[in-house]
Amino acid sequence: MEELKLTTTRRKILIGAGALAAAAAAAPILAACQPTPKTGGSGKVTVMTDPNEFSDDDRKTLENATKLKIEVVKSDLTTLYAMFAAGNPPDVFRVQAAGLPQYISRKMVKNLQPYFAKSTLLKPDDLAPANNFYKWDGKQIGKGDLYGMVKDWSPDFTLFAYTKAFDDAGVKVPSDTTALTYDELRTLANKVNKKAGGKRVYWGFVHSNNDQWIDRTAMNMLAEKNQNLYSDDFSKLVISGNPEATKVIRYLYDLAADGVNETPIDPSPNWMGADFNEGQIAILQYGYWFSAMAESDKTKGKTVMLPAPTWAGVRRDPTMTATGWVISSQTKDPDAAWAVFEQYMGGKPAQDRAKSGWGVPGLKSLYPQMPQQTDFQKQVQKVLQGELSKSDFILQFNPYIGEETFSTSWKKNLEPALKGTISFDKFVQNIESEVNTAIADGKRIIGG
Amino acid sequence: MAGATHVLPRVMPRPALLRRRAVRRAATFYLLVSPWLLGFVLLSAVPLAGALLMSLTNYDGLNLDYVAFVGVDNYARAFSDPEAQHALLRTLLLMVLVVPTGLVLQLLLALMVDQPIRLSNLFRTIFYLPYVIPVVAGAWVWKIFVDPSGGLVNALVGAVVPDVNIRWLVEYPTLVLAVFTIWGAAGGGMVIFLAGLQGIPAEYREAAMIDGASPAQVTRFITLPLLTPVIFFNLVTGIITTLQVLVQPMLLSPGILGLSPGTVPPLDNYLYPVHAYIEIFVKQLFGYGAALLWLLFAVVLGLTLVLFGTSRRWVHYGVEA
Repeated sequence: MEELKLTTTRRKILIGAGALAAAAAAAPILAACQPTPKTGGSGKVTVMTDPNEFSDDDRKTLENATKLKIEVVKSDLTTLYAMFAAGNPPDVFRVQAAGLPQYISRKMVKNLQPYFAKSTLLKPDDLAPANNFYKWDGKQIGKGDLYGMVKDWSPDFTLFAYTKAFDDAGVKVPSDTTALTYDELRTLANKVNKKAGGKRVYWGFVHSNNDQWIDRTAMNMLAEKNQNLYSDDFSKLVISGNPEATKVIRYLYDLAADGVNETPIDPSPNWMGADFNEGQIAILQYGYWFSAMAESDKTKGKTVMLPAPTWAGVRRDPTMTATGWVISSQTKDPDAAWAVFEQYMGGKPAQDRAKSGWGVPGLKSLYPQMPQQTDFQKQVQKVLQGELSKSDFILQFNPYIGEETFSTSWKKNLEPALKGTISFDKFVQNIESEVNTAIADGKRIIGG
Repeated sequence: MAGATHVLPRVMPRPALLRRRAVRRAATFYLLVSPWLLGFVLLSAVPLAGALLMSLTNYDGLNLDYVAFVGVDNYARAFSDPEAQHALLRTLLLMVLVVPTGLVLQLLLALMVDQPIRLSNLFRTIFYLPYVIPVVAGAWVWKIFVDPSGGLVNALVGAVVPDVNIRWLVEYPTLVLAVFTIWGAAGGGMVIFLAGLQGIPAEYREAAMIDGASPAQVTRFITLPLLTPVIFFNLVTGIITTLQVLVQPMLLSPGILGLSPGTVPPLDNYLYPVHAYIEIFVKQLFGYGAALLWLLFAVVLGLTLVLFGTSRRWVHYGVEA
C-alpha cells in the first residue's frame, strides 16, 4: 500500500507540472517586482541597422572612437516591434521618414535637440534639408526639435533611363536638363515598353520601389498642388472626396493598367534595381543613391540620370525615405547612444559614405566629397545639382498609421482591380476604408 | 522438471526503502522531462497567456503607456471583419484541397516504399527530402519552376501546347500553394504511415492471402483498418498545420521573394494567418491580431473535437483476440 501512495501517477505528474509551470511563469513577474538595477553605463550600445549600411569597419571605427562596445541587430520592422513589445528596444535604430511621426507621437524616440545643441560634429547650420524630416513640433514633422538624422539621402524622384531601350524603340532619350511632365512620362513609357512572345523585354516605367512607397509618390505629386492624401488633421485618407487626389491615384493606377510597371499581375521575380541592371527597365524612378549601382556590365555607358518629373509645373524633389537613425526613448544610456550616433553621422563613417556615392551626405559640408570621376558620375552630379534646389520640402506622413499601411492596402486591392474583379472606384473605396480604419485605431490608441 | 518447483523466499521491502525508491523515481522523471517542460512553459504557455491578455487590449506593440483594456471588442470586431471572413474561407478551402490529397499521396508513397524492392531506402530518402528542405529554399525553387519565362512547368506544358506562357503565381496561386504545401508535407506523413504499415503484423496479411484475398482486398480489409489510427493522426495534424499556413503564401507571392510586412499575397492566397500577420505587423493592431489567432485556435479545437467525435466510428485501435 505504501508503494502505491508513492508511485508516480498521471495526477501527480500534472500537479507537479502545474507547480513547475506556475513557478516558471511567476519567476519573471516576481523578478519584475524587485527594484530594477540600473544598467546604464554598461559600455554597450545596441544598434539596429541594415548591415549593408554599417560595415564591420564602421563598427570598429565607432568602437575605437567611442570606447564603447557596439552590438548590431539586423534592421527589420517585425524584430523592432517585437523588441519594443518585450520592453528591450535597441538603443539606436534605423528608421525611414514615413515611420517617424508614428514613433515620435508614441514617445518611442528621444528628443535629440539638447545633444545637437552641444555637438561639435553635427552643427545645425550644416544639416542637409532632408534632416527636417526628423523635426517634430508636437503635431507635424518639418518644424521643431530634432529627433534624429539622415545617414544620407537623395532627391528620390529623379529618373534613370536605359538608353538602349529608347534606341530599340526609335525614341529619343529625354533631355537631362528639362524635366518631363508625368503625362509625357506616361506616353514615353508606353512607347518604350516592350514584350516579345509574351515575355518581358522592357518595362516602360517602374517606380515607387515596387509600390512599397506608392503613397510617397502620390503625396509628392499632390504637393505640387499644395494638397495631401490626408485631411489636415490626418484623421482621414481623402481620395474620392478630393478630385486632385483622385487624379493622382488614377494616374498611378493607369500606369499599372498600361502594363508599363511591375504589378501584382505582371510581376518581376527581382526588385526593380536588379531589373534595371539586367537591362529590363527603360525608365526607373530612384534617387541619386542608385547611381552608385546603376551601371552594371549590361547598362554601363547606356545609362543617364534625368531630373524628377513634374505633375503640375511646380517641381519638388525631396527624399521619400530620409533613412537615418534615432535613439530609443527607453535607452538606459542615452549619452553612450548619442556618442555612437554622433560619430556615425559626423565622423569617419559619414565621410566614407559621402565618398562612396551611395547618397547625398547628411551634412552639407560633406557634399564636395561625392564622387565625380567618371563620365556617368559627372552627368549625375550635373543633374543632382539642379535637383538639390528642389529638395527642401517635407512629405507629411500620417502619425496614426504604420509606414506600410497604405501601400499594403494598395497592393492588396490592385490585383483584383487589374484583373477586373473590382472597379477603379471600388479600388479607391477599399483603400480608403482600410486605411481610415487603421487611422481610427491609431487615434484611439494615442489620442488626438 | 515436473513437480520441481522452487519457492523463492518472499522478502517484503520495508516502507522507508520503498518511499525512497519512489521519490528517486519521481525525481528522475521530473529531471528528465524538465527541459521540455521548461521549454513549454517559457516558450509556449507564457506567450499564450500573454497573447490572451493582449487580445483584451488595444496594444499596438509600440508603447505600453498607451495600453487600455477593451474587453471582448477585438473578438466582436473579428466577426464583422470582411477580410477575416474572406481569409478564413480561403484557408478552409486550402485545407479541403491539401489535407485529403496529401493523405492519399502520403499513404501511396508509404505503400510504395514499404515494398521489398531494391533501392527502397533511396526512394524513401528522396521522398522525405522536401520535408527537411527549409521552406524558403523550397519556395524559391518552386518560384523558378513556375516562372512564366523559362520555368520548368511552362516548358513541360509547352511541349504539348506550343507558345504557352502561363503566369502560375498570378492566374493559379491557390493551385501552386496547394501543390507546394502537399509536396512539402508528403515526406513527413509518408514516414509516419510507413511506421504504421511496419507495425502491422505480417501474419494478418499472410493469413488473408492464404484464405484467397487479393492484394487489393488485403489492403482494403486488413491494412487500411489497422492503419486508421495513423490516418487519424495524420488527418488531425494535417488540418492543424494547414490552418496555420503563413509563410508559404507570403513566399509564393508574385514578385520578390520575401517575408516582410510589405509582402501581400494574391487575394486567393490571402489566408487567415496572413491576415492576422498583417493586422499585427503592418497595422500594429497586436491586440486584434491576438484575438484573431485565438479565434483560429477555437476553430482548430472545434474541428479536432469533431474529428475525435467521429473517430469512434472509423478508427480501430488494436485487435482484440
